[in-house]
Amino acid sequence: MIPDTVYGAILLSVIDFFLSFLVISGIGFVLALFPYLNQLGTIDEKKLREGGH
Amino acid sequence: MFDQVLFFFNALLQQTGAANFTGGNLVMIIIGGTMIYLAIAKHYEPLLLIGIGFSCIVANVPGPPDVPGGPPVSALLYVVKEGGLFHYAYEGVAKLIIPPLIFLGVGAMTDFGPMIANPKLVILGAGAHLGIFVALILAKLVGFSISEAGAIGIIGGADGPMAIFVTVKLAPHLLGPISVAAYSYMALMPMIQPPVMKMLTTPAERRIEMAQIRKVSKLEKIIFPAVIAIIVNLFFPPVAPLITMLMLGNLLKEVGVTERLAKTAGGPLMNMIIMILTVAIGSTMAADKFLTWDTILIVGLGLLAFLFGTASGVVTAKIMNLFLRNKINPLIGSAGIASVPIAARVSHIVANQANPHNHLIFHAMGPNLAGVFGTAISGGIMLALLGVQ
Repeated sequence: MIPDTVYGAILLSVIDFFLSFLVISGIGFVLALFPYLNQLGTIDEKKLREGGH
Repeated sequence: MFDQVLFFFNALLQQTGAANFTGGNLVMIIIGGTMIYLAIAKHYEPLLLIGIGFSCIVANVPGPPDVPGGPPVSALLYVVKEGGLFHYAYEGVAKLIIPPLIFLGVGAMTDFGPMIANPKLVILGAGAHLGIFVALILAKLVGFSISEAGAIGIIGGADGPMAIFVTVKLAPHLLGPISVAAYSYMALMPMIQPPVMKMLTTPAERRIEMAQIRKVSKLEKIIFPAVIAIIVNLFFPPVAPLITMLMLGNLLKEVGVTERLAKTAGGPLMNMIIMILTVAIGSTMAADKFLTWDTILIVGLGLLAFLFGTASGVVTAKIMNLFLRNKINPLIGSAGIASVPIAARVSHIVANQANPHNHLIFHAMGPNLAGVFGTAISGGIMLALLGVQ
């Protein structure tokens, strides 16, 4: 897909660096929504541990 | 009589490794000794450096030739070659069994709270990976194939298991030097990063104190592994085995009902893997294989990757500060290079030297953990673009 040349290496680097930023920003966006999960309720950590094995 | 004694003495000498000792062996023994010294005296990642350093030393003590007239074989190489104890350890690395297990253990030991609490900092997990691409382009320029260059570049992700994983997929013949470079530089980050961090920041920037971040609920921490596992499996199948195991380990830790499994994954299992992995890596450092021009180039490019990664992380943090109302300390940018928790610890120490009231460790863990995903994403995209499954 990518040519085995210096041009290919530069192309691979530019695409990869740009996409990495994009994807990790997407993960950041998903994480920014996480506080809303708390509206679903809370988990009692003590009870969780009591049920542990 | 004298001739006979000399003959027997010579025959005895040939049965030992002394006759086969080279200057290269001496260089590598000094390198191994330096690793052990740094681990003991400077406390630089002793869990990694003790095993790598010791097996590097032993791998460079030559034994008698395996076959008459053949090359000398060290005792360590006897246990590494087929049928030997560590042959299977090395196979575990080469067959990609050990890297996912390491990620399972790391997940079971890691609190992703700092990353969930401050999502804007995850961008530093991508920003600190410029080093990967600088090393990739330079490796291609000096004559490596694009697959080899990609594997060399991933050293800059400062993530040992991911470097092994990508190397096995792209250039398995370079596994020895790349894993040595990745793990050695990770352990030496307290020496490599601070000069770059200080060069790119002013004393005032290093003194910036960051506001306390919010507390992340148990519900968020339990949902996080599942969400990330879905995203990675959906979009980055080439690296999904590693991140999936990382998230499984983390789920075992967070749910609270599998404490035994989490403790095993993050404790005894992880300890066993570290012992096996470090010996497997150190055993590849025999002078005749390690002191080659290609290896020296790889080690040099790996260092450049770390330096550029550190620099780009700090610069990304400074760019973010142009837009943020509550300024972040740019030193946490270098933690985006991954290598959990070493890079975060370095950020904390450098900031603490500038301002004794500054405790950045929790803030730096956010980009540090994001760096793990950043390396995985970069590696996944690279494998996809190079057409590797």
